Amino acid sequence: MTTHQHDVIIIGGGGAGLRAAIAIAEENPSFSVACVSKVYPMRSHTVTAEGGAAAVIKPNDSLEDHIYDTISGADWLADQDAVEYFVNRAPSEMIQLEHWGCPWSRTPDGSVAVRPFGGMKIERTWFAADKTGFHMLHSLFQTTLKYGNIVRYDEHFATRLLMDDAGRCRGCAAIELRTGTVRAILGKSVIICTGGAGKAFPFTTNGAIKTGDGMAMAYHAGVALKDMEFIQYHPTGLPGTGILITEASRGEGGILVNKDGYRYLQDYDLGEALDVSDPRHPQKRAMELGPRDKLSQCFIKEKNAGRTIRTKDGDAVHLDLRHLGAEKIDRKIPFVRELARSYAGIDPVHQPIPVRPVVHYVMGGIDVDSDSATNISGLYAAGECACVSINGANRLGSNSLTELLVFGGQAGTHAARFAMDQPDYDVSGLEAQSADESERIRRTYFSARTRSGSERIAVLRNELHDAMEDGAGIYRDADSLEAACNKIAELRERYRRVTLDDQSNCFNTELTAALELSSLLDVAEAMAHSARERTESRGSHQRLDHPDRNDDDFLAHSLAFRQPDGSAPRIEYSPVTITKWPPGERTYGAGSGLKRPAGEAGAAGGPGSSGAAGEPS
Amino acid sequence: MSENATITLELFRYHPETDSEPRYQSYEVPYDEDWVVLDAINWIKDHVDGTVTHRWSCRMGVCGSCGMMVNGEPKLTCAAFLKDYYPRPVRVDPLVNFPVERDLVVSMDGFMDKLEAVKPYIIRDDVNDTSQGEYRQTPAELARYKQFSMCINCMLCYAACPVVGHEEEFLGPAALALGHRYNKDSRDQGQSERLEVMLSSEAMWGCTFVGECTVVCPKHVDPAGAIQQAKAVGAQEFFKRFVMPKGAGS
Amino acid sequence: MSGQYHRPHRWAWWTERPGYMRFMIRELTSVFMAGYLVVFVMTLARLGAGEAAFGEWIAAMGSPGWMAAHVVALAAAVWHAVTFFGAVPQAMPVFLGEKRLSGPVSQIVMGYGPWLTVSAVIVWWVLR
Repeated sequence: MTTHQHDVIIIGGGGAGLRAAIAIAEENPSFSVACVSKVYPMRSHTVTAEGGAAAVIKPNDSLEDHIYDTISGADWLADQDAVEYFVNRAPSEMIQLEHWGCPWSRTPDGSVAVRPFGGMKIERTWFAADKTGFHMLHSLFQTTLKYGNIVRYDEHFATRLLMDDAGRCRGCAAIELRTGTVRAILGKSVIICTGGAGKAFPFTTNGAIKTGDGMAMAYHAGVALKDMEFIQYHPTGLPGTGILITEASRGEGGILVNKDGYRYLQDYDLGEALDVSDPRHPQKRAMELGPRDKLSQCFIKEKNAGRTIRTKDGDAVHLDLRHLGAEKIDRKIPFVRELARSYAGIDPVHQPIPVRPVVHYVMGGIDVDSDSATNISGLYAAGECACVSINGANRLGSNSLTELLVFGGQAGTHAARFAMDQPDYDVSGLEAQSADESERIRRTYFSARTRSGSERIAVLRNELHDAMEDGAGIYRDADSLEAACNKIAELRERYRRVTLDDQSNCFNTELTAALELSSLLDVAEAMAHSARERTESRGSHQRLDHPDRNDDDFLAHSLAFRQPDGSAPRIEYSPVTITKWPPGERTYGAGSGLKRPAGEAGAAGGPGSSGAAGEPS
Repeated sequence: MSENATITLELFRYHPETDSEPRYQSYEVPYDEDWVVLDAINWIKDHVDGTVTHRWSCRMGVCGSCGMMVNGEPKLTCAAFLKDYYPRPVRVDPLVNFPVERDLVVSMDGFMDKLEAVKPYIIRDDVNDTSQGEYRQTPAELARYKQFSMCINCMLCYAACPVVGHEEEFLGPAALALGHRYNKDSRDQGQSERLEVMLSSEAMWGCTFVGECTVVCPKHVDPAGAIQQAKAVGAQEFFKRFVMPKGAGS
Repeated sequence: MSGQYHRPHRWAWWTERPGYMRFMIRELTSVFMAGYLVVFVMTLARLGAGEAAFGEWIAAMGSPGWMAAHVVALAAAVWHAVTFFGAVPQAMPVFLGEKRLSGPVSQIVMGYGPWLTVSAVIVWWVLR
């Protein structure tokens, strides 16, 4: 075991982690910042984001509109103070990234171009063709190379947070993959930026690395996982592979049709189907530019009505881009064409693309306050792994990339300021915990038992996938969720008998797969139990047995606390912060563009007041 | 093709704790025409042999993790379809011109150092505050460097470049293209600082324009073109420094 | 632990890909070009040595062996020129606004066009 001392430790090298690293490096140039990541930073999943990042920049847009779109998109489960902070900070963060070299697409006058996305009143999504996440990640990563005080621990798999005697977080234990050595990486504050957990599901846009490791680490350390029942299905993934076809394809005018070539969204209160040649098409906050939760739910309804298209990879609808023409497709969404050609054998210039909803994003995550701080002193979280919450029950497309910047930067600044005031920590106590962790890994995965165990990682993982898809998919009910909870408990039990063919130290990716499966089981447990307890339908959480939103009991964040004895998590609730935008009906299509004046909130409470939403009975 | 068709994968195996020499190991994998080579390797790891070691993540050709040699050709294994090889066997090696850590995993240390060496970030004398808005950059200015910004760092070009294999000092296609990308960015003022690195002995001049880096690039970055353009800029700079040793580069 | 494995040096690397082979052929053509430069310098030397020496030299140049060498050198020079112009679109991209000229067009604009023009001027100047 080896020990490394720094000032601030960041776990995760994606968009949020890199933004945090730069924020700290700038906040205090004398600080040493460690960035610990299980992959090289440019492999992080931010890289796959396609369509764009939202921030108000154009004169026809307003901060107020961005706030309202976000809050209504979230089905009023977002904390409004956090959303206001987010929307206000977004433009300067995006301009900052522009200054750092991100190749944003431009208008002829040289200013940044924007496009419309789902659930938006006005087009405000900045984009770099349709590889926005890729360009953002690489710009951030390359910019970190400028700072001598950012030290990277690439291909180091963090497994445990280290705490001092006063309960403050002081670093992590991480396995150096190349050697298998467990390192104690110590600092005065820690930020978790490890991304989401889409890999709990079988059919996802998420890469192999999205396994909720940071969420699980915080959960084990005693931080609640908040709003985990809210899982976003993106309406347009390729059947079979789950490869994402960006919402920008609809923002640029693409349409969704069923097996009869009919634009079925018009049957589900999403507005009028304007002809594609109508200059008003695509209409904002309507039809194909409705929010993701609703569009994914419409797919299931069409499927149940027998109007979807059978493919060898299951049911699908068609995303038709043909009317856009080759020139526009190649200029605005070239990656869509490349992906459809390679992975579906279809050229969208000539044929419609079969698509279906696919797990894309976890709205919930590590419970943090509006300063990105957890309830553990010195521990922060940002990005998809965290829940601030600005995404509530349904995230608006193109808010997550901006969230990485705004809250990654904010977490970095706060963690750096926290660290400045901290006394030196007791190294030996933390080393002892790291040694314990090393021993735990050895005992759990390298023993006679694991060599001869009976459960293969892939078998357990596949059964988890089935349990989540069947029990906690787009539509859920008490029975399906009960079954999922029971299955997860069974899998946790069977995990104790997991077997590893690989008993060596160097680059043991079977060990990391086992650790990742363990994280997924923790996260899935929080998802299923939180979903079972929430007996209402809101945003992406749709209960067949409780089809209506219930603000009286559930205008509240769920908090899942892990039980040390391994029993089912304890679910608590905390109030949603409502400032100026009282809960209303989510309307899309006709009339959705109507502004809800902030003043209308009236007695509902001024800024900072909390909408009371006590514990549901 | 029968229901139970299979395809043979021959994987390069090397474990530093037990092997002094590498070997090949064959696996029979169910043949599915939608599968890519990466799917087949994952199937082996999941169901047959958990010790097989490789890198991967996004499975959509943008994270750059899964580059390997497929029948001698540098490929993203997530974009190499089994149907293009079936029924012949598929031999998978780690990317050549890199030291092997284990099995299909190569060491990226040298590559990362080279990326860092070209100072791949915006360098300016005057830094605007964000309140002054974005730097203006017309679509035409963007087009000058956009292609060179598409590199996913998959390192296939390093495996295709014979100079990388023979010349330690050579920065290699991806790193040089990245340096050139920033030199061509209208927002950047760091060209002379970057050229300090690129002009040193073999760093850039090592390139003999074999051009295979461009052939194998899955993202059409054209590093060979970038390097020739950078050489032209470098030659001008070199000449300027020769005739005006003091004021050059300003 | 024996550490990282370094694969052996591949001395026959240039046989591994058609692209490497094409590169080697392109590089080899410059040997012929260099050789022909030597011939050219020798020709100048003979010219300096007087009319008789020059005439003798030119006569020798017409022998079947030398003629074959001229043909090979010409072929090599042409091939070298073709590959040189083939590289033009990569090394000297031409932009009109945000559009980049296609490969063949920029070969003509930046390569063959100026070359033919200069050649025509030289031919005119020699023959006038």
